[in-house]
Formats: sequence, structure tokens, C-alpha cells
Amino acid sequence: MRLSLPLMGLLTVMAPAQADEIVSGSTFLSPELRRQQDDPTRNPAWFWVDQGRDLFAAKRSGGGQACLDCHADPATSLRGAATHYPQVDPSSGKLLNLEGRIEQCRVERQQQPAFGYETAEMLSLTAYIASLSRGLPMSVRTDGPAQPFFEAGKAFYERRQGQLNLSCKQCHDGLVGQKLRGDTISHGVGTGYPAYRLEWNTVGSLHRRLRACSLGVRATQFDYGSPEYLALELYLAGRAKGLPVETPAMRR
Amino acid sequence: MSFPISPRSGRSEALSRREAVAIAAAGLALATWPEMSRAAETETMDDLVRRVTEGTVPAEGGVRLEIPALVENGNSVDVRIAVDSPMTEAAHVRWIHLIADKNPFPDMARIHLSPRAGRAEVAITLRLAQSQTVAAVVAHSDGRYAIARAPVVVTLSACIDGG
Amino acid sequence: MFNARITVPPQAKAGEPVEIKVLVRHPMDRGGQSDGKGGIVPRKILNRMTATYAGAEIFRIDMNTGVAANPFVSFCTRAVETGDIVFEWREDGGATYTRTARLTVA
Repeated sequence: MRLSLPLMGLLTVMAPAQADEIVSGSTFLSPELRRQQDDPTRNPAWFWVDQGRDLFAAKRSGGGQACLDCHADPATSLRGAATHYPQVDPSSGKLLNLEGRIEQCRVERQQQPAFGYETAEMLSLTAYIASLSRGLPMSVRTDGPAQPFFEAGKAFYERRQGQLNLSCKQCHDGLVGQKLRGDTISHGVGTGYPAYRLEWNTVGSLHRRLRACSLGVRATQFDYGSPEYLALELYLAGRAKGLPVETPAMRR
Repeated sequence: MSFPISPRSGRSEALSRREAVAIAAAGLALATWPEMSRAAETETMDDLVRRVTEGTVPAEGGVRLEIPALVENGNSVDVRIAVDSPMTEAAHVRWIHLIADKNPFPDMARIHLSPRAGRAEVAITLRLAQSQTVAAVVAHSDGRYAIARAPVVVTLSACIDGG
Repeated sequence: MFNARITVPPQAKAGEPVEIKVLVRHPMDRGGQSDGKGGIVPRKILNRMTATYAGAEIFRIDMNTGVAANPFVSFCTRAVETGDIVFEWREDGGATYTRTARLTVA
């Protein structure tokens, strides 16, 4: 077994972590940050949700439709929608996450230019729609047409990568609860995203977080919305089955 | 005394090399900068404090500075300051000045209060560049100065990313 | 994109101090970083926030780059009368933003 030296150091001094029960990233926040996350007077991510609500109702230029024209009463009609993403789009057979679905709606239905991943508009709409499912359990499909994507995501999760030759699994299953620099290693579920991350000073997507993970182990950073990260997102969502949506969360 | 917080108020007589380069790049004249950079290395918290108190050494006590001893991320640090003061016309806090001695611009903020506050208690989120001492300098209406200091260790998150 | 979330107690007793909480959306760009095109990003922060209530300025903060992005500020004011607390922010470059919050005094 080949382990990088620093990791071997970690393993020798630490007892094996309990990886049986997957828990939310919020569990690993400091009490202070958790309080800040749960206090709407303190959590800046709500600004993005507010912006998303406005965009959702905004009429498009040239007499185009607003999101709200089709999705009336979104607090009811879209409640729970985010718990089912990523999902396979029946017409194209592609795996779409919430961002992908919003972009598809915008381009194909509203006939508007794409927002682009990680734009303020896309982050806001995603945060708003995900926030409508707050507290509801994640319930993505991992069988049927989703199965190959789920398997690909699982393989990605378990594959050693990068100069540090680490897999996601080694830390996020094997060393959960242990310290990595100043952080506590979580299960790596994405149920709070888009989230306000102190490191970013702003709200970012799960794929932005995954890019930071890739950089952290000095592996290839894939593009926003890439097939690799989409499959991984599905695997993480499958692992998180039953955990409540927490968007907009705060993370360190 | 007027003390506007401006980009140049950080170290009017003492710039770090980094600031000096940044300011030079911004097109500001820097005729004597070798001397300035030398001063930066020796400028202590006491120097920084004396600048805002016009030379007076502030008294310790009467100021509560709540700040985590171990900061999770320097980008956003919760600070709460409470000052013992009746907050009346006769005796109140005029301002609270926040200093971080190792920030590129050590003067972080100045909070102006009046008797209308009723209570001299404020909170703000700060940005700390590294482990250092944070000080709250308080100017009372009778001309007294008071201070509270706290050493702060700033840690890094595990995954620092370029986006 | 500026925005502010101002929280005041639902009701205040005349003469008593109340806590006012203000969360602001602003990048508080400290400047000085490379813009990736050979230039340097200029500083762009909110350099001042004032709050005016019942005829007088009750709070002012002068801010430098040591204030966090999307900052939170809280302060106290003695409830005087039912009325608006008017907030004004001044940004580098001269732009200003205002918001009001109504304080109800019993």
C-alpha cells in the first residue's frame, strides 16, 4: 500500500473514524459559524437567495416570459425540486444538475442568452430554488438511466488522484472528524450549496468547491459543469440521501 | 481631532514594502520610501496607538474586547466591543478605534458614538491578514483614553483555492 | 451589487437602548491585487456608514480595508420616538446607497 508520507503520519496517530453514518457539513462547523449560518441577520448567503427571487419574477426583455409565468407559486410548486438533482434529462439523456436545468430553461424556453456557470445570476437562481427545498431530504435517483453516471461518480470518488495521490474516499470516509490544517474533515456532502464560503468572501457553487478539492490534492481541476464533476455530484447526492437541503449554508 | 480613515491613513509615516509598491503603482509620489520601509519594521502597536491618542498612553480597563483567540478564517472575524460608560451628555464614548498591528493597513475602522447610543456596545466583522494583536482604543468625552488588546491566532482553511 | 439587511426589534420601549443589526452585501474590495491584465485592482470599499434617527446622527463608522467583505455591524441606540432610521453608505469613488428601517416605539 502506497500512502503519501503526511497521510501516513495522520493514520498512525488517529483512530479510524466512524464513517457509517453520513452527516451534513454543518455538523463540522464551529459553534460560532454554525450560529452565524442559522441566523438570517448574519448569513450573507441570503442576499443571493433574495436576488434569485427577484430574477425569478423578472420579465425577460422583448416580452419574454418570467420564470414565474410557468412556475407559479414556486414556494409550493418547486418545493422539493432541488432534492431530485442531479437527474438524467429524459430528452437528451444527459445528466443535469440544478444549474444545468436552470440554464436549459433559460436558453430553450425563455430563449435568452445563457447565464454561464458561477455568474451571480446563476448562483442566485440556484440558491433561491434550492432554498425552496430547505429541510427536505435529498432523494436523487441513482438507478435506471442514472446508474451509469452514479457509478462513474463513485469511481471518481474512489480513485487516487493528483500529486498527493489521494482519493476523495480516503479522507471523506476514512478520516472524517479529524483535522486537516485548521479544518475538520467532513463527509463531503454538498447539501448546503450554493454556499457562502469564508474563504471566497462570496457565494459559490458545489463545483467551485470541488475545484478547490482537486487543487488541494494537486489533481486536475475540471471545468464547471464538466461530466466528471456532474457524476461526482450525483454520487455525493446519492450518499447524502435522506439528509436535509441546507442551502444557503455557510462554510469555512 | 479629525482622523479620516483613508487608503493612506494606514501608515502615514510608515509603509510596508508591499503597500509602498501598491501605492507607487497607483501613481502616488514616494520620494522618501526607503526611510518609510525602515520605519515600518519598527512600528509597534504602541506607536500605532499613540498616533490615534495624540501621544497619550491609554488606560487599561473599562473596555471589553471579545474576539476569538483562534480565528477560523481571517476573511471574517467577529468582534464585539463594550465600554463601561453611562453614555450621558456629561460622560460618553466619542469613538472606538480598531487597530490590527500586522494588517497592511493597521487602522481598520473608527466607530463614532454619541449619548444617543444609550449603551456603548458595538459589533463588526473584521479582516485579519495574519496572527497578530488587535486593539480597541476608546476616546471618552472627558478626554481620557482607554484600551483593550487581544492576541489573535489566524489559521488557514484546508483548501485554499484559486476558484 | 449593494444590498442591506437591517434588523431592528419589532417594538421598543421609549428611553431604552435597542440593538440595531446591519448586514451588507458588498465585496469590500481592498484592491492591490493583479487584475490579470498587467494592472492593479483599485480599492473599492464602503468607507463610511452613517445612521440618522429622530433628528440626529446616532452612529457613524469610518471603514478601512480591515473591514470584512459583506460586513456585519451592530450598535445600540436609545429608542426616542416611532420613526425611520436612515442609513447611508459611502463607497470609494463617491457612490452612495441609502436604506431605511422603521423603529416602533411604544
